[in-house]
Amino acid sequence: MNQHIDPGSLRADDGIEKGGMLLHVDNISLSFGGVKAISDVSFDIKKGEIRAIIGPNGAGKTSMLNVINGFYHPQEGTITFRGEKRRRMKPHAAASQGIARTFQNIALFKGMTTLDNIMTGRMTLMHGNLLTQALWVGPAQREELAHRETVEKIIDFLEIEHIRKTPVGRLPYGLQKRVELGRALAADPALLLLDEPMAGMNLEEKEDMSRFVLDVNQQFGTTVALIEHDMGVVMDLSDRVVVLDYGRKIGDGTPDEVRNNQNVIDAYLGVSHD
Amino acid sequence: MLYRETGDFKSSYAADQQTFPIRSERYLFWGAMVIAFLVVPFFINDYWEKSVLVPLLVWSMAALGLNILTGYCGQVSLGTGGFMAVGAYACYKLMTAFPDLNIFIVVILSGGVTAFVGMLFGLPSLRIKGFYLAVATLAAQFFLVWLFNKVPWFYNYSASGQITAPERTIFGIAVTGASAPPWATYLFCLTLVFLFAWIARNLTRGTLGRSWMAIRDMDIAAEIIGVQPLKAKISAFAVSSFYIGVAGALYFSVWLGAVEPTEAFGINVSFLVLFMVIIGGLGSILGSFLGAAFLTLMPVLLKNVMVGGLGWPTDLAAHFEIMLVGGLIVFFLIVEPHGLAQLWRLAKEKLRLWPFPY
Repeated sequence: MNQHIDPGSLRADDGIEKGGMLLHVDNISLSFGGVKAISDVSFDIKKGEIRAIIGPNGAGKTSMLNVINGFYHPQEGTITFRGEKRRRMKPHAAASQGIARTFQNIALFKGMTTLDNIMTGRMTLMHGNLLTQALWVGPAQREELAHRETVEKIIDFLEIEHIRKTPVGRLPYGLQKRVELGRALAADPALLLLDEPMAGMNLEEKEDMSRFVLDVNQQFGTTVALIEHDMGVVMDLSDRVVVLDYGRKIGDGTPDEVRNNQNVIDAYLGVSHD
Repeated sequence: MLYRETGDFKSSYAADQQTFPIRSERYLFWGAMVIAFLVVPFFINDYWEKSVLVPLLVWSMAALGLNILTGYCGQVSLGTGGFMAVGAYACYKLMTAFPDLNIFIVVILSGGVTAFVGMLFGLPSLRIKGFYLAVATLAAQFFLVWLFNKVPWFYNYSASGQITAPERTIFGIAVTGASAPPWATYLFCLTLVFLFAWIARNLTRGTLGRSWMAIRDMDIAAEIIGVQPLKAKISAFAVSSFYIGVAGALYFSVWLGAVEPTEAFGINVSFLVLFMVIIGGLGSILGSFLGAAFLTLMPVLLKNVMVGGLGWPTDLAAHFEIMLVGGLIVFFLIVEPHGLAQLWRLAKEKLRLWPFPY
């Protein structure tokens, strides 16, 4: 199963080989007034990998994602995405460059149906103007139907056909998480940022979600960066892990390397101060 | 029964996204339209035109406009009266400055002028939300009405400060002015409302509508997935003001014929339209019509029952009517906070499963 989405429709074709550098974060520092959320963090994300960002609460993981997709502007440092260096940019500009994300606390459009939510994910790929939209018949309808086709494939892929026309506010938590993944996938992202995709899920839902993340990664070659607290999931899914603590990077490497890193063990288990 | 289909048998996406996916409903709608366009004009008289049908159409137009802004894009506005005034005065200035211009074009252009003014007053929405935005639009309301009172250029220096619509014709038949036949004014308004309701439906079901609703439901997430807040909000203000401007132009030129700004476009107009939208259903085209119908037809109906049927004195009936309408508003909001449109949707869901609800 899951051979639905045509990888050719993905716009990830940017000349970067699989395993080449997709995103480079250099010496990023971010502070809010006197609070330093991130200090001097650098890491990279290679094309086609699953990269996990872990760390205790308040380590700056979500802030890091917010920096990557342009929602926060770091005071220092640069971000290089697909060979393009930038410091400040608007979130919608990041979106149209191919960075999509999900949120820790679900941020779906609650009054809209599953279908409309996922269709909204294709916003940056649709070009209708006011006039054609007003007339509907013709270009606007053609565009809508073409995108509907892709969106239906995503709906099939995520196995949420039965809730297509349900307003998402009425859906249970696990399904909402899945719809949110669908909305991010709809953008044909080159880089998919997942902020705690499995938070608050039961075992079965976690297994489903892990399967979707792996399928997205392997079948469409989408690069994934995820934040997750469930160490079992992180160690199983990810190719490389970066560990943050108090806004600093304390570890970076394969799951095995990170697991045996003394700094990481200290951060998670605590150190005795005697 | 009205609903006889036994399942969902759509086989194409185009069929799935029709405005009226249920066949019997589609027939019902077109049947009603045929009656509205071809039968009603033969029976309409002055009373039905001036107190029932034209008011209903004008308020429906205004409610559609406000629903686009408040219901779909989530931006609260209390400036509806002021924007209707812009439409009316733009219409008046265009009618008097270009006597040969077709009234249809004049009305559309008035909408365009209002759209521009609405965009200007929509700029604060980029920084402020909710109640604070409502107060900012309230400023628009008071400023615009003050402007049309104070600057004589707008009312062509007439002594009374009023504006009066001259007679204008379409295909040789008057639609404005005192001698316009009821059926002509009615058809003129109906055509415009039909056309723009269709456009509103198209705008709200496509990309633009989704960007509005995304901003309404979760503006930060919307921005992160690629909606440009500036574009979405300002376009909502522009489209909404266009509709309200057209409503204002019709209100002045076709319905009332002569207006005075403080009286006709005061804050009570803003509230009336806002109530229509809330009672009818935020974020629903049908809701705009139901809300407008509720608040224009209910008073007429109550008055007829109380004065005509029960023989009460007019002043008693007038007061009682205000109380009753107020009570009904509260009643409907308690029964269904999402408005009459939601009530209709729920009833439909039940009816479609009736008599086997499983």
